[in-house]
Amino acid sequence: MNKFFMLLAGMGLWGGLLYGQAAFTLSGVVADDNNTPLTGASVLLFPVAKGTVTDVKGHFLVADLPRGHYSVEISFVGFATLRDTLTLASNRIYNVRLKPSLVSLQEVVVTDHYAETRKREESLNIEVVNHDYLKQNLGGSLMKSLERLPGVTTLDIGSGQSKPVIRGLGFNRVVVLENNIKHEAQQWGADHGLEIDQYAVDNVEVLKGPASLMVGSDAIGGVIDIKNRMLPAENTFGATVDLTGKSNNDFAGASLSLYGRKGRFYANFRATLIDYGDYKVPTDSVDIYSYRAALYQNHLRNTAGSERDLHLTLGMFDEGFQSKLFISSVRSKSGFFANAHGLEPRNVDTALYDASSRDIHFPWQSVHHFKVSNSTQVRRKAITLSADFGLQRNFRQEWSQYVSHGYMPAVFPDSLPFDPDLERQFDKDVFSGNVRLSHQASKKMVITAGISSELHDNRIEGRGFIVPAYRQWSAGGFALVKYSFTGKRMLQAGIRYDYGRLKVESYSDWFPTPVIVNGDTSMVYLERAGSLNRHFSSLTWSVGYTHQQGNWSYRANVGRSFRMPIAKELAANGVNYHHFSYEVGNPGLAPEVSYQLDAGAEFSGKQIAMGFTPFVNYFSNYIYLNPTSEHDRLYGNGNQVFRYTQSEVFRIGAEIHAHYQIINSVQLGVVGEWVSSRQLTGEKKGFSLPFSPPASAVFNVKYQLPKLKLIENGYVSVDVRFTAPQNDIVPPEETTGGYQAINLSLGGDFKFGSRTIDLSFQVQNLFNTQYFNHTSYYRLINVPEPGRNVVVNISIPFSGQIKE
Amino acid sequence: MKNLLKMWIPLALAVMLGACEKEAGTDKEKPTIDLSHQDAFPVNCDTLYFGEPFVLKMMFADNSALGSYSIDIHNNFDHHSHSTEVEECHPDPVKAPVNPFTSIEDYPIPAGLTSYQTSLTINIPAGNGNGLYDEGDYHFFISLTDKAGWSAQKGLSVKMLHR
Repeated sequence: MNKFFMLLAGMGLWGGLLYGQAAFTLSGVVADDNNTPLTGASVLLFPVAKGTVTDVKGHFLVADLPRGHYSVEISFVGFATLRDTLTLASNRIYNVRLKPSLVSLQEVVVTDHYAETRKREESLNIEVVNHDYLKQNLGGSLMKSLERLPGVTTLDIGSGQSKPVIRGLGFNRVVVLENNIKHEAQQWGADHGLEIDQYAVDNVEVLKGPASLMVGSDAIGGVIDIKNRMLPAENTFGATVDLTGKSNNDFAGASLSLYGRKGRFYANFRATLIDYGDYKVPTDSVDIYSYRAALYQNHLRNTAGSERDLHLTLGMFDEGFQSKLFISSVRSKSGFFANAHGLEPRNVDTALYDASSRDIHFPWQSVHHFKVSNSTQVRRKAITLSADFGLQRNFRQEWSQYVSHGYMPAVFPDSLPFDPDLERQFDKDVFSGNVRLSHQASKKMVITAGISSELHDNRIEGRGFIVPAYRQWSAGGFALVKYSFTGKRMLQAGIRYDYGRLKVESYSDWFPTPVIVNGDTSMVYLERAGSLNRHFSSLTWSVGYTHQQGNWSYRANVGRSFRMPIAKELAANGVNYHHFSYEVGNPGLAPEVSYQLDAGAEFSGKQIAMGFTPFVNYFSNYIYLNPTSEHDRLYGNGNQVFRYTQSEVFRIGAEIHAHYQIINSVQLGVVGEWVSSRQLTGEKKGFSLPFSPPASAVFNVKYQLPKLKLIENGYVSVDVRFTAPQNDIVPPEETTGGYQAINLSLGGDFKFGSRTIDLSFQVQNLFNTQYFNHTSYYRLINVPEPGRNVVVNISIPFSGQIKE
Repeated sequence: MKNLLKMWIPLALAVMLGACEKEAGTDKEKPTIDLSHQDAFPVNCDTLYFGEPFVLKMMFADNSALGSYSIDIHNNFDHHSHSTEVEECHPDPVKAPVNPFTSIEDYPIPAGLTSYQTSLTINIPAGNGNGLYDEGDYHFFISLTDKAGWSAQKGLSVKMLHR
C-alpha cells in the first residue's frame, strides 16, 4: 500500500516539475452562416478539456496550450456542433461558422463548461449533464443524481437501486445507451437498478420524448445517453482518486482512474469500490399493507450493499478516424428490506438482522454485468461512417430462504439441480451492432441512414418462476434528412422500419400441484408458460421544425414510435415478491404504438433565460399490468392476480424552466414538471397509470464565489423542492401527500501548488423531513424517503508527462 | 410582446386539454374485511380441528362492488409471519415440518354486491397419503378484492389440532 502512495506522490511531483513548457494560444471568432458573431458559444479543446465561452463579438481565446494535436468542439444552442482536429506548433487563429441544427432531434454535445452546461441543462427536450454536475448532485445511483432535471424522475427500491423515468414513462419504455450500445439487463424488474458505475460517467444526455427513429423499439419514452469522452493530453499519464462518504447509510466509495496517452494511442483504467450500510428513514415502524414492522434505530433492515467495478478503455485516433474499445465489469450485491419480501410480509429474527447495519442477510440479490464494445468512426470529406458493436452479459441472482410456494414441498428435496435458497436466476447475453452513414449532400442538406440489430438470449434458474427463458432477434433501418432554409429555419424528417422475433421457451413446475377435474384430484406438474413464437414489425416516422428569431427559438416535433412487447408482458406467470401480487402475461399482445406532439419556446437573453416545453401523447394500445378482482390458487398464497392488458392512453405534460442572473455571481432558477395520464378504454377506463409522478418544482439560488487565491469555481447552492400531492392513483397505490425538501450544496476547486483538489459537499433532506415518494416501490409499503444525508466527495488528480 | 404571446399559446392549450381530462367517477376505495362482529370465525388465536368442517363467518364490504376472495392456510412452524391483528397469540416452539397442511382456494362473490356475509363451509381433512397432518401453528390468510382491483388482506394466527 505504501508503494502505491509513493507512486502516486511521484506522479504528482513529476506533474509539478514538468509544468510550464512552451505554451501557445488558440484564438478566433465563432459566427453563424450569415457571419453574425455568436455570443456565448462554447469552445472546448481535448485532450486538455480546456474550455471557454465566446464574448459579445464572438471572440474566444484559450491560452497556455502545449504543442501537439488537439480535437476541438464548438457548440451553441440551436447549431450543429463543430468537431475538428488541429495541430498547434505556434499561436493560431481559428475562425469558424456554425450551421443551424434541429435541437429537438439532434444529439447535443456536452461541454465541460459549467455555465454552458447549466444553460443546456434546461434547453428543450434534451438535458445534458457532465462530471461536475454529477459530483455536485451525487445521489445513491446515477439515476438518483439525474432526478433534479426537469421531466426526469426515478423509480426506486432501496438506496442504491433506481430506474430512469422520463415524463412518467419507465421500465422498457426508456433506453439507456452507453457508448452508443443499448444497455440490456433486466429493465422490466422492479428491484433492478442500472448497472452503471457513477464514477465512470463523464457526461449524460437525457432525450425526452419518443426517440424510436434513431434508437429503435423501447425508446418510446426517451433515452439516457451515456458517453465516455475523456481523452488524455498528448504524451501524458496520470491518475484521479475520487473518495465519497455519505452519512445516511454510512456509504464509503473510492474510485481510482489511471490514464495515459502516447501520440495517437491512449488508455484509461478505472477501479471502483463501494460499500454501504442499511439506510435510515425518519420513522420507527412501517405498515406493510396491514402488517406493522418495527424498525431498529430507523434502519431499513437489510438494505446494505456493495459494488466492485472495473473499466478499461483503449483508444486510437488519427485525421478523420477514431476507434475506442470499452471493457467493463460491474458487480453488486444488495439486500432487500427483509420484512417485505416474499409471499407475504415476514417476521425476521431481529437479533440476527439488527446485530449490524452493514451485513447482508436473506433476501438479497447479486448482479454481474460484463460488457465489451467498440465504437469506430471514419470521416472522408462529406461522408462519415460510424459503427458500434457490443457484447454484454447480465447475470442476476435473487436469494432468499426457501419457503414453499403454493404446493411446493414443505421440505426441499435434495434431488434438484439448484440451491433451495436460490429464488430466481437470470442469465442474459446480448449482441448488438449499429452502422450509420452520414452524407453532407449539399450546403443545406444532410442525409443519414443506418441499420441496427440485436440478439438476446435469456436463461433462467431457481425455485421460483416469473419470466421464461427466451431468445429475441430484432433489426431495423432508418433514413433521416435534415434541410435548412434561408434564415434560421430547419426541417428534419425521418422514417424507420423494424422487425423482431421473440421465441419463448415453455416452463413447467418442478413440483406437482393437486388439480381437481370432475371431482378427481390428480397431481400435475403445471405448465406456467407455453412455448411461444411471435414476430413484430413496425413503421415509425418523425418530422421536426425549428425556428430561431433573435433571442427566441421555437420548436415542434411530431412522430410515431413503437415498442415490441417483452417476454415478461407476453409470458409472465408468477409472484411479484415486492408486491405480494401474482402477475400473468398475455401472449396475444400487439406492439405498443405511440403518437407524440412536442413543442417548445425558449428565450435566452443575457440575464434571463426561460423555456416552456409542452407535449401531448396518445398510445393506441399501452401495455398495462392490470390489477384484477381475481385470486390465484395454484402458486402463491392465494395472491391477487395482475394481468397484462392493453388500453388506449392519453398523456399530457410540460416542463418549464427559468433563470435570472441577478448580479454576476448570484443566480435564481426554477425548474418545474407536470404530467397527467388517462386510460381511455379497458377495465381501468378513467384511471391514471401506475407510478405517475406528481407535479413538482425546484427553486434554486446559486452563489458563485469570486475567484480567490486558493479556491476557484467555488459555489454555494440551495434547492427547495416542492412536490404536489398525488391523488390520481390506480390500485394498489395509496394517495401520497405533497412535501417540501431542502438540499444544500457547496464546493469548489482548491489549489495546492500546481494541483487542484475538487471538493463538493451536500446535505440532502436538510431538515430530516418525513415524506413519501409516490414513485418509490417502497411507497406501497409505507416506507418514507431517506432522512438527512451528508455527502462529501473529494477528487484528487495526479499527472505527469511521457518523454518523447 | 408578440413573442411572449406565442409562448403562452401552448401553455393555454395544455391547461385547457388538462381540464377536459378530469377522471370521471373512478372507484378509489378499498374493500374491507370485518372480523369484529360477534359470530365472526375464525378470529386471531382461534383453533381449527383436522378432520372437521368449520363455517367461515366474515363480513366483506365495498363502496362500489365486491370482487372475489381467497383463503390460504399454511404452516407457521418457523414463526416466519405474524398476524395483522393487535392481539398476540402463544405460539409453540419452532419446529421442522413433516407433513404440514396447505390449502389455497379462491371463491367468487355474487356480482354487484356492496356487502357480503360469508357462510362458507370448509372441510379440513385429517391427513393425506403421507399420514396425518402436522399439528401446530398455522397462518390463516384472507385476501379480498373489489371489482376495480383494490384489495384488502387479513393474516390470522391459528392453531390446528387433531381432536
